[in-house]
Amino acid sequence: MSKPPARNGAPQRRPGEEDDICPVCKSSRYLNPNMRFLVNPECYHKMCESCVDRIFSQGPAPCPVAGCARTLRKQRFRRQTFEDLQIEREVDIRRRVAAIFNRRESEFQTLRDYNNYLEEVETLTFNLLYNIDVATTEEKLASYARQNAADIANNKIISAQESASTEAQIAAQKEQARLHREAARNEEDEERREKEEGRQEFINKIAASNEDPDKIAKVVLKKSTARRTAADKLRQQEAAKVDNASAPLFQIQGLKPVVRPEPQKAYDPFGDYSIKTQYYTLQTQYEHPWLENAKTDPKITAGGFDVGEYCARAMMEAFGGLGVFVEDEVARREEAAGADVGTTAAAMAAGDGKEVGGDVL
Amino acid sequence: MKFNIEDLPILFPYPRIYPEQYAYMCDLKRTLDAGGHCVLEMPSGTGKTVSLLSLIVAYQQYYPEHRKLIYCSRTMSEIEKALAELKALMKYRADQLGYEEDFRGLGLTSRKNLCLHPSVKREKSGSIVDARCRSLTAGFVKEKKERGEDVDLCIYHDNLDLLEPHNLVPPGVFTLDGLLKYGEKHKQCPYFSARRMMPFCNVIIYSYHYLLDPKIAERVSKELSKDCIVVFDEAHNIDNVCIESLSIDLTEDSLRKATRGANNLERKITEMRSSDAEKLQNEYAKLVEGLRDADEAREEDTFMANPALPDDLLQEAVPGNIRRAEHFVAFLKRFVEYLKTRMKVLHVISETPPSFLQHLKDLTFIEKKPLRFCAERLTSLVRTLELTNIEDYQPLQEVATFATLAATYDKGFLLILEPYESDTATVPNPILHFTCLDAAIAIKPVFDRFSSVIITSGTISPLEMYPKMLGFTTVVQESYSMTLARRSFLPMIVTRGSDQSAISSGFQIRNDPGVVRNYGSLLLEFSKITPDGIVVFFPSYLYMELIISTWQGMGTLDEIWKYKLILVETPDAQETSLALETYRTACCNGRGAILLCVARGKVSEGIDFDHHYGRTVLCMGVPFQYTESRILKARLEFLRETYRIRENDFLSFDAMRHAAQCLGRVLRGKDDYGIMVLADRRFQKKRSQLPKWINQALLESDTSLSTDMAVASAKKFLRTMAQPFSERDQAGVSTWDIKDLERHKEQKEEEKIRELRNGIDGGQMDVDEHTNGANGADEYGADDDIDAAMMDMDA
Ligand code: SF4
Ligand SMILES: [Zn+2]
Ligand SMILES: [Zn+2]
Repeated sequence: MSKPPARNGAPQRRPGEEDDICPVCKSSRYLNPNMRFLVNPECYHKMCESCVDRIFSQGPAPCPVAGCARTLRKQRFRRQTFEDLQIEREVDIRRRVAAIFNRRESEFQTLRDYNNYLEEVETLTFNLLYNIDVATTEEKLASYARQNAADIANNKIISAQESASTEAQIAAQKEQARLHREAARNEEDEERREKEEGRQEFINKIAASNEDPDKIAKVVLKKSTARRTAADKLRQQEAAKVDNASAPLFQIQGLKPVVRPEPQKAYDPFGDYSIKTQYYTLQTQYEHPWLENAKTDPKITAGGFDVGEYCARAMMEAFGGLGVFVEDEVARREEAAGADVGTTAAAMAAGDGKEVGGDVL
Repeated sequence: MKFNIEDLPILFPYPRIYPEQYAYMCDLKRTLDAGGHCVLEMPSGTGKTVSLLSLIVAYQQYYPEHRKLIYCSRTMSEIEKALAELKALMKYRADQLGYEEDFRGLGLTSRKNLCLHPSVKREKSGSIVDARCRSLTAGFVKEKKERGEDVDLCIYHDNLDLLEPHNLVPPGVFTLDGLLKYGEKHKQCPYFSARRMMPFCNVIIYSYHYLLDPKIAERVSKELSKDCIVVFDEAHNIDNVCIESLSIDLTEDSLRKATRGANNLERKITEMRSSDAEKLQNEYAKLVEGLRDADEAREEDTFMANPALPDDLLQEAVPGNIRRAEHFVAFLKRFVEYLKTRMKVLHVISETPPSFLQHLKDLTFIEKKPLRFCAERLTSLVRTLELTNIEDYQPLQEVATFATLAATYDKGFLLILEPYESDTATVPNPILHFTCLDAAIAIKPVFDRFSSVIITSGTISPLEMYPKMLGFTTVVQESYSMTLARRSFLPMIVTRGSDQSAISSGFQIRNDPGVVRNYGSLLLEFSKITPDGIVVFFPSYLYMELIISTWQGMGTLDEIWKYKLILVETPDAQETSLALETYRTACCNGRGAILLCVARGKVSEGIDFDHHYGRTVLCMGVPFQYTESRILKARLEFLRETYRIRENDFLSFDAMRHAAQCLGRVLRGKDDYGIMVLADRRFQKKRSQLPKWINQALLESDTSLSTDMAVASAKKFLRTMAQPFSERDQAGVSTWDIKDLERHKEQKEEEKIRELRNGIDGGQMDVDEHTNGANGADEYGADDDIDAAMMDMDA
């Protein structure tokens, strides 16, 4: 790569314009120097602008190229970007695929996963390109798009932001370069002027006085040095300013995606413990004659007595102890005691306490 | 001659030594001890290479680390010269020590120069030799042979496998010629012998590219250990070498070839899928695992290596979307096609790699990451497909390298698209330059890897420019003056013609007939008084042609013709070498001749005009670069922004280093003599940028002469040169024998002792002395400034 390739003898025509004959009307660039070719992404058959006007102005029409006959619309005709129509088509397909499969590397656990994903996508693209299993591939594409709509939209936004920020960065760089250039030019001008001034001063002094010209030269020189250092300082400050102004922009590149903390739950004094009744469901209403009374009697309600609470308590008391098997607990306790002889007594005591509690319930 | 520098005993193969050689060695040792880099400027023709070699070999042999020496030079002939020098040195050492040291020194150059294969070596182009050799030596070819297929192999290469791998050639120093002879005798390939022996050598001598060009360096210089001593000789142009090694130019033609290459690859892949799918599958599996072949680096037939990639990337697996061979080829095609569309633009574009990548992504959905792996992926594919006609894929490789570089470096590179060859051209013939602007990128791995890098040349002023441009720090930075017993060269600056009007090649007045005539009469006058050869340097071919045709019209050439033969350098190498041949003959037989050449041409860089081949060198005009080139402009801007080197400073530095290079051509030793004329008004201000040894010899009175004054001065100089001058007159002054050297050392010692003593019993006085010294220096400096100021005013 160290040796530059020699320019080949200038080509007569620009490549890509070699076949300058419209395949439809057979007019050539020789007859019509302004001829432009258009293609339609439906079938990528090339034809000249006037053909497009002629054939498709009246609305959709079949492609005039023999054996194609796909219905084309004028609206969708456009200039080709790539010389190779195959590539043109490929890029169109890629555009479509890229809009759907826009996962980012950071979303994957390992690099390997990401690479596998990339390969998968590439294979899909290839299928579309070479018309292998088009139906199933399209199906896959569509289903993926449906299932991951949210992610796709999200990533789209991110990449849009990214490209915007790179563009901004490029622009900022350009601006900075321009400023630098200007500064350098100013500096040069300044210097030239100073030199000029110094010389003028020198001549004036010589003319005015009868001192030794050498000495004068020294004085003038000192002055200009002082001025130069001052200018240097100023310039440095300015440079620093420029740097600061344009440095960070939005640099989000290296960041891991921020995990937003979950919203805090309301304070729960029982620490997530709730009493769930296992054997019954508490009704809001219980039919009982003397309860009716308690509901309405001001003597009772005025004290804050609530029938619901009463019912709940009564129910709990009625069912309390169900599902508690004393033998099981005793057996378990004994097992524990056997394992740890030293604390048998204590265990007994504790067990007793419990048993008592059980009785109470 | 045998002496010590500090504790290090040195054997110097000559009975006498120049003072500057001794100083040079001392500084070298200092650098090596300190373990850092240095920049040294040593006058041309004062035995730089021999001092360097004898010190470093002594260093190697004396200290237990046995640090290896890698000596890089520019041309084949310089490499050969250094090898011969080394060989003589080792012989001298053996004589002195009484035994042969265990020592190996080898040189390496391209296959083209070292090939022995009867048909391959007859190829003209180096790349064809490389390609043909590869097809005869590649590993898979050998496998095929073993399987009994009928394929050609190179017998010279095969024979190497029969030898012990660490002892392909016996110890000792081989010149390239010697290696060829040895190879012929033992029927072994000199190129591969040298390459495989590289890890076992004490001294390796090869060209810059083996270290700087990342594609080659990766392969050839990989196994060299960190404590190697690296020397870049004749390094005044090293920044340009660095830049060139990372710059790529693409044309429409090369893109077309790249497409063809990609199509070929595609076909080969299909073929292989049907015949030998397993190989592709293996490759694929390897890429999935992210494994690099452990042995692939050692393979000698590698197609190419990666251009300077950061290490972390080298560890990473190849991205999934280019893992499959088919996918990758489609990827390449898309990229090439994109480049083709870019080429169609009819105005100049210059953009940075990031903006290029952005546009690329918008248009073709090619991401940055797979691009970075492009070069590596291509290498792997080419190897898997077992391609032999590799030269067909050269353009594709270039595109891949370009892709990798563009995706790897955000800064220090620029893309420039020039749709027209020149400003006046109407038929577009676009070139896409991908140019490296930062010389530090290519050389950075070298500085990172090796602890001592020595950059040296005859003309490498101003010294501080190089560390700045190449991004390193030095421990020693020194320029030596030339000690002379008599004034043996006469530098002069001619600012006016004999009619007292200023002469300059500045573009405002360069076409002025008066200036051209003054240049003509200057040459005429010197052709009258100079014996034998005169060399004239012009800033550019264009200017040279213009002047010659004008002189033709004025009849100046006819005048000159009476005194000397006139020969001209042309861009064509063959013609130039013919002209040189004739020039030499004319100088030898007494007819005398003038060689007109260009300051940046081949002649100015590599050809010596010692003794009667060059008695006068004339620099007609300051050899500035062509500043309208967009690449140069971009580089200037980059230098200003990144290294704070101003445009004018750089241009003037660059012009002066070329001027100095031209001047140095005529003086190739202390017994040589010559006149150096700088003929341009602008040289006067740039005087301080000349190398120290030239600048010192340039008298104040000789800095602004008119033609007739210069001629008078030259006449006087030549008359003194005509006086007999015996070797004895030089002894003790410009050459030392061992006694002089001892005396010098003693003096130094004494000085040091005195200084120390002063430091102890007279602290006060010491301070005084210092302030005095400082004052003195200040005054002196100020005087210099005034000189400069006065000169400016004159201008
Ligand atoms: S192996 Fe050596 S001799 Fe044989 S072709 Fe290659 S370079 Fe030539
Ligand atoms: Zn048409
Ligand atoms: Zn069609």
